[in-house]
Amino acid sequence: MRNLLLIAQFTWQEALGRRLLWAIILLTLVFLFFYFLGLNFLLDSFERRAAQLGRELSPEQMVVPSAVLVLMGMYIVNFLGSLTGVFTTIASISGEVDSGTLQSILPKPIRRWEFVLGKWLGHLSLALPYLLLLSLALVYGSYILTGYLPPNPPAAMALMLLSVLFLLTLTLLGSSLFSTLTTGVVMFMIYGLGWIGGILASVGAFTNTPTLKRLGEISSYLVPSDQLWRGASVFLQPEIMLGAQDSARGNPFVGSEPLATGYLLWVAAYTMLVLVAAVWVFRRRDF
Amino acid sequence: MTLAIQTLNLRKAFNGRVAVEDLSLEVRAGEVFGFLGPNGAGKTTTVKMLLGLTYPTSGQATLLGKPLGSLETRRQLGFLPELFRFHDWMTGKEFLRFHGQLCGMPASALQRRIPEVLELVGLLGRENERIKGYSKGMQQRIGLAQALLNHPRVVFLDEPTSALDPIGRREVREIIRHLKAEGTTIFLNSHLLSEVELTCDRVAFVDKGRVVRSGALKELLRERLEVELRVGALNPELLSELGRHARVLHHGPDTVLLETESEDVLPILAQTVVNSGAGLFSLSPRKISLEDLFVKLVSKESS
Repeated sequence: MRNLLLIAQFTWQEALGRRLLWAIILLTLVFLFFYFLGLNFLLDSFERRAAQLGRELSPEQMVVPSAVLVLMGMYIVNFLGSLTGVFTTIASISGEVDSGTLQSILPKPIRRWEFVLGKWLGHLSLALPYLLLLSLALVYGSYILTGYLPPNPPAAMALMLLSVLFLLTLTLLGSSLFSTLTTGVVMFMIYGLGWIGGILASVGAFTNTPTLKRLGEISSYLVPSDQLWRGASVFLQPEIMLGAQDSARGNPFVGSEPLATGYLLWVAAYTMLVLVAAVWVFRRRDF
Repeated sequence: MTLAIQTLNLRKAFNGRVAVEDLSLEVRAGEVFGFLGPNGAGKTTTVKMLLGLTYPTSGQATLLGKPLGSLETRRQLGFLPELFRFHDWMTGKEFLRFHGQLCGMPASALQRRIPEVLELVGLLGRENERIKGYSKGMQQRIGLAQALLNHPRVVFLDEPTSALDPIGRREVREIIRHLKAEGTTIFLNSHLLSEVELTCDRVAFVDKGRVVRSGALKELLRERLEVELRVGALNPELLSELGRHARVLHHGPDTVLLETESEDVLPILAQTVVNSGAGLFSLSPRKISLEDLFVKLVSKESS
C-alpha cells in the first residue's frame, strides 16, 4: 500500500516536474475566460435586441438560451476532461517501458500490481478533480452571469466523472499492452467509436431504424463514454428542453432519458474489469 | 561457501527465439563475478531474469537463497541497467530519494545515505540539478549511486563504465573494490576485458545462452600459455618433435609459436631444441590475456 501511494505521488511529481499541470491549468483558464466572455456578449446582445424591439426579457425567457449555452459549455468540459484523462495516462506505463526507466524501478521491492494501481490512482487523482473543478467553475460561473442553474449538476458531474474514469482506465490497459503511440491511436479510435455509436443510435431513433439503434446500443456497452455524457446531459436540461427533445428525438449531442441503474452498474463493473486486465497484463509481461 | 546466486538450466525464449539456452551458474557470496560473452549471448536477459524483470521459460534460480522475485531479496539488491535512462525531469537528489523510498528506506536513513552515495560516485554538489542537464557520464554515475543506495548485498552492474572516461573507469574500479571489502557480491557484465581482469575474482564465459567456461580468473589464465621460440634452423623433424609437447599455432623459417597448458613444459621445449642441435636463440613465454581467452572460447563455439 505504501508503494502504491508512492507511485501515485510520483505521478503528481511528474506532472509538476514536466510542467504538465501548469500547462493544463493555464489553457483551462484561457478556455473559461473565452467561454464567459462569449456568454456575456451573447446575453448582452439578446437584451439589446429585445430593447430595440421595445421589450424586456423576463428571467423565464432567458432560461432556454442560458440552458443551451451551459449545455454546450458542459459538452466541451466533458470533452476536455476526457481528453485530459486519456492524454495524461497514455504514456503512464508505456512511457516507462519505452524509455527504459522501468528497468530501475521494477527490481526494487515493489509488487507489479502496486505499480499499476499506483499509476491508476495517480492519474485519476489528477484527471477527476480537474474535471470536477472545471465543471463547477462552468456551472456556477454561468449561474453568476445568467442566474440560471441546471436542475441537477451533481448527478451530471457524477456521470461525467464515471465516463472519464472509464476512459482513463482503458487507456491504462492500453498503456500496459502497447507502446505510447499505439495506445494513443487505439484510444482515439475507441473514443471515436463511442461517439459514432451515439450518432448511429440518434439517427436510428430519428428514422426509426432498429438495426442502427441496435448498433448504437452495442457500442454504448462497449464504449460507454458517449452514452454517459447523454445521461449526464439529461440532468443539465430544464423540463422544457427535455420535452422538446422527447418529441424531436435524435439529437446527436444530448440525451433526453436518464440512464438505467443496470447500465450504470455495468459501466462500473466494466471499468473494474478493465483495471484488473491492466494489472494482469502488466504482471505477465517481460521487460 | 554460501552462494549469492545459483541458476540451474535457466532458459528463456521470446516467442520461440531462444535468448538463453541452458544456463547453470554459481556466484559465491562476497566475490566479484564477471559475466562475459559476445553481443547477443544472453547476458542482459540473464540479469533481467535474476532481477525479476523477465520471467524464465524454464529452469530454476535462487538469489540469496530465495527464489527469484522474492520481495525480501529485492530489498537487498542493487542494479545499474545497461541502457541507463532515468526520469530526467528530476533532480539528482529527488531521483535518489524516490529510489530510496522504493527500497523502503525511511526518510532519516535517506537523509544520511544520499550524501554518502553522491560523494562515492563524485556527484556531491550537483545533486540539485536536473538529470536532464547531466552529461552521459554523470547520468551513469547517478545510476550507480541509485544502485548502491540501500547497502545492497548483491549488486548487478551491466556495463557500468560504458559512458565513462578513463578516470571515471578507474573510480568505478575503486568503488567495486570498496564494495568487495564490505562483503558485497558484485555481478559484473562487461565487454571491457581489461577491467574485468583488474576487478573480477571469478568469471563465466557465456555464448549462445550457455556457460562455455567458468572458474577463478587466475586459474583460467594460468591454464594456457603461449611460447615463442627462435631457433637457428627450423626443420620438420624439430617441428614435429616440438609438436609432441605443445600445440603448434604458427611457424616461420626460424620461429615457432606454441601453446601449452603448463609452465612445466618450458624446460622440455628448450631441451628438445638443444638436443636437435638447432641452436636456441630465444624462448619467450607469455601469459594469454583474458581477451585471447575470450576470442578463443567464443570463436570455437561459433565455428
